[in-house]
Amino acid sequence: MLRFENVGMRFGPGPEILRDVTFSLEAGSFSFLTGPSGAGKTTLLKLMYVAGPPSRGLITLFGHDLSTTKRNAFPAIRRRIGVVFQDFRLLAHLSTFDNVALPLRLAGHREQDYAHDVKELLNWVGLGDRLQAKPATLSGGEQQRVAIARAVVARPDLLLADEPTGNVDAEIGQRLIRLFGELNRLGTTVLIATHDRSLIERTKAREMRLVDGRLVELGAQRT
Amino acid sequence: MNAKSLAASGQILPRDTGAAPLDIVIAIMSFLAALALGASLIADRAAESWRAGLAGRITVQILPPAKGAPDPALTTETAAAVSVLEATPGILHVLPVSDQEARQLVEPWLGTGALISDLPLPRLIDATIASGTQLDIAALAQKLKTAAPDSMLDDHSRWISRLKGLADAVIWSAYGILALIAIATASAVAFATRAGLDAHHDIVALLHQMGAQSGFIARAFEWHYFRAALLAAAIGAALAGGIFLAASGLEFAGIEPAPFLPPLALHTGELAWLVAVPAGAGFIAWATARLSVLAALRRIY
Repeated sequence: MLRFENVGMRFGPGPEILRDVTFSLEAGSFSFLTGPSGAGKTTLLKLMYVAGPPSRGLITLFGHDLSTTKRNAFPAIRRRIGVVFQDFRLLAHLSTFDNVALPLRLAGHREQDYAHDVKELLNWVGLGDRLQAKPATLSGGEQQRVAIARAVVARPDLLLADEPTGNVDAEIGQRLIRLFGELNRLGTTVLIATHDRSLIERTKAREMRLVDGRLVELGAQRT
Repeated sequence: MNAKSLAASGQILPRDTGAAPLDIVIAIMSFLAALALGASLIADRAAESWRAGLAGRITVQILPPAKGAPDPALTTETAAAVSVLEATPGILHVLPVSDQEARQLVEPWLGTGALISDLPLPRLIDATIASGTQLDIAALAQKLKTAAPDSMLDDHSRWISRLKGLADAVIWSAYGILALIAIATASAVAFATRAGLDAHHDIVALLHQMGAQSGFIARAFEWHYFRAALLAAAIGAALAGGIFLAASGLEFAGIEPAPFLPPLALHTGELAWLVAVPAGAGFIAWATARLSVLAALRRIY
């Protein structure tokens, strides 16, 4: 599914943010990425969701060696990845419904085909009554749930989430993790970057820890 | 709504992205473009009208003596020249211009004072050539010289050529102005598109990250600028059309807005050409925005 080999990343002439990062995610796996702030978690996630090339090393995603893959193949690869951004990145002028439906629209689906699924998903994340609300009228937690719904609505092959429960209460957090678990059981590979130790201990999933740009394996893959 | 129509629908970019200064620039550019286009149409029509008015006609002048009263020979020479013209195959009508008519021709420039009655005006003979006839002008001039030594034949070719040159200069100047306006409009739209890309970098980056094709993102911008340019240019062209209609109204009321120039009004068919201005501005904005966005997206991984 995803393989990093000796990946290094630096910005300009500065020091390396990531150093010799080597790991792989098997299809259908559920993993956590942890580490102190500034350890390089977000940079590593960016490389995973094909936001830019590494300074060195090899990344293989969905069987594509990204260093040799043609540019015009990237959009199709990116459409197979769902991303929950730490800062949500909702389109302010679109409604909750339209924000969540955006990946399906980009994939060429028609509204009559996905409207029911989008509404059901928004009900699941507790926003069934806010379909037409604009992001500015939603609380931080509600925006985060919209961002999560948008990331999972197209049932991506790989789901990457950057602190997905950081702005929600414990109950909603549990519910969202159950949603990720459901998606994982349906075959989606899930990687969550988080500081929430209780979340990791509760799910007993594999943990990869970044320390000073280097990756340390702490836990075994969940069976 | 599929991805293609979603991009074109304007829902991807916020509705308030229309840069008002750009709309004003495009409206002004289109106003000037419509004026230039109208001027080229008027110049073309005027040149054709002048050419049609002079083509197929020749004028013979019998020059008077430099000093003193007109020589009685002037009358004799005029009659001889008329005889030559009437005997020439291909000449339909021969019309000697009377002294009174000749003085009326110079009145607009010299007035009606005593000076004009003292001027030694040439006798003029106006002749109409049958359509399709190729007269040997040199041979006819020679015949006239023989019959009337003080005669001068003018087939207006030099005057027509000068008028055509003037009209061509106006037309090509208008085309040049149109080209400059098109370049300026394209530059303004390219600048605004880049500013739009910067202002909406978060939206572009998100769509790019979600796997939107470059063409999809470009469509969102190109239709946005197409619509804005079309509307602004329509307003500019309509204002220019209003000026031409006002000129038409003045001429209808018998007021000459610009003496010595051809009528500044556009005919209905010519007014329709002004529709080309918003269409052209819309196309320029569409193409410029598309190329600018695609070029910017090529720089993103």
